Amino acid sequence: MGLFKWARTKSPWIIHFNTGGCNGCDIELVAALTPRFDLERFGILLEGSPRHADVLAVTGPVTLQVKDRLVRIYEQMPEPKYVVAIGTCAVSGAPFKDCYSVHGGIDTVLPVDAYVPGCPSKPEAIIDGISKLIQKMKEGEGHGKGK
Amino acid sequence: MERENEIVEKLKDFLKESLVGTTVPRERRIFVYIKKDALKDAVEYLVKDLKFTHLSTITGVDLGGGIEVLYHLAYEGAIELSLGLTVPKNNPSVPTVTDLIPGAVLYEREVHDLLGVNFEGHPDLSPLVLPEGWPQDVYPLRKEHSLEQLREMTSKSRREKSD
Repeated sequence: MGLFKWARTKSPWIIHFNTGGCNGCDIELVAALTPRFDLERFGILLEGSPRHADVLAVTGPVTLQVKDRLVRIYEQMPEPKYVVAIGTCAVSGAPFKDCYSVHGGIDTVLPVDAYVPGCPSKPEAIIDGISKLIQKMKEGEGHGKGK
Repeated sequence: MERENEIVEKLKDFLKESLVGTTVPRERRIFVYIKKDALKDAVEYLVKDLKFTHLSTITGVDLGGGIEVLYHLAYEGAIELSLGLTVPKNNPSVPTVTDLIPGAVLYEREVHDLLGVNFEGHPDLSPLVLPEGWPQDVYPLRKEHSLEQLREMTSKSRREKSD
């Protein structure tokens, strides 16, 4: 394992983006980062800029209005990059799938490495999904393959 | 029900034959249906004389033949009054109430977006809630299009960039 990959799997930085959800999953993701659930024990840090982030955590169904912005944020992230879909809306579009202004789940726009279902997904589920993503990163799998 | 009936009687006296119908289903709830031409006078009378000072929102319903526009007004004595009028689908135009209630600007824009009701005299009817690149003259809450047709009509904005 190279130094960069070791550093990345020990401390992946996350950027959070809501593509049109109800804020339920956002609250759960923020709760997962608090000391009570302590996602930081994996070295995870919430980052404000996509240019500094390794993992894009997306909540909510992709609306037509936000679709191009989501792609723009993904394109700004440095390689290798990973995407986690948090909540049933982000996984599949859920009840909003057929809405006139909704494009669908995240995987209709971006390659997704980990899916966390739930409405909203519990912090435990988010931790589980992210620890599986870290395992994927260690094994060099996923769409953003690290050297 | 005394206060409610009193308000209905006052409206009957004021609007006369412009009044299409009224119902008071329970306490603190009134529905009033009027003809389109009487809208401005009715809103002014309700706001200034009857103290229905707060416009909660404006909604619209596609009835098939026409579009019903409902003005939901709140009275300082906690009575909700819905003022409704029906406009034909081929020419859905209603005079704006923004000169009487400035807060109606956004509500009228939303109804214009989703149902295509033209509010005459509105300062700016540009799209408010619909996504960028939405085709003109397609109104998602009109029941003439099925979901599949709507998806087909918006397919251009769906495909861009993803290809």
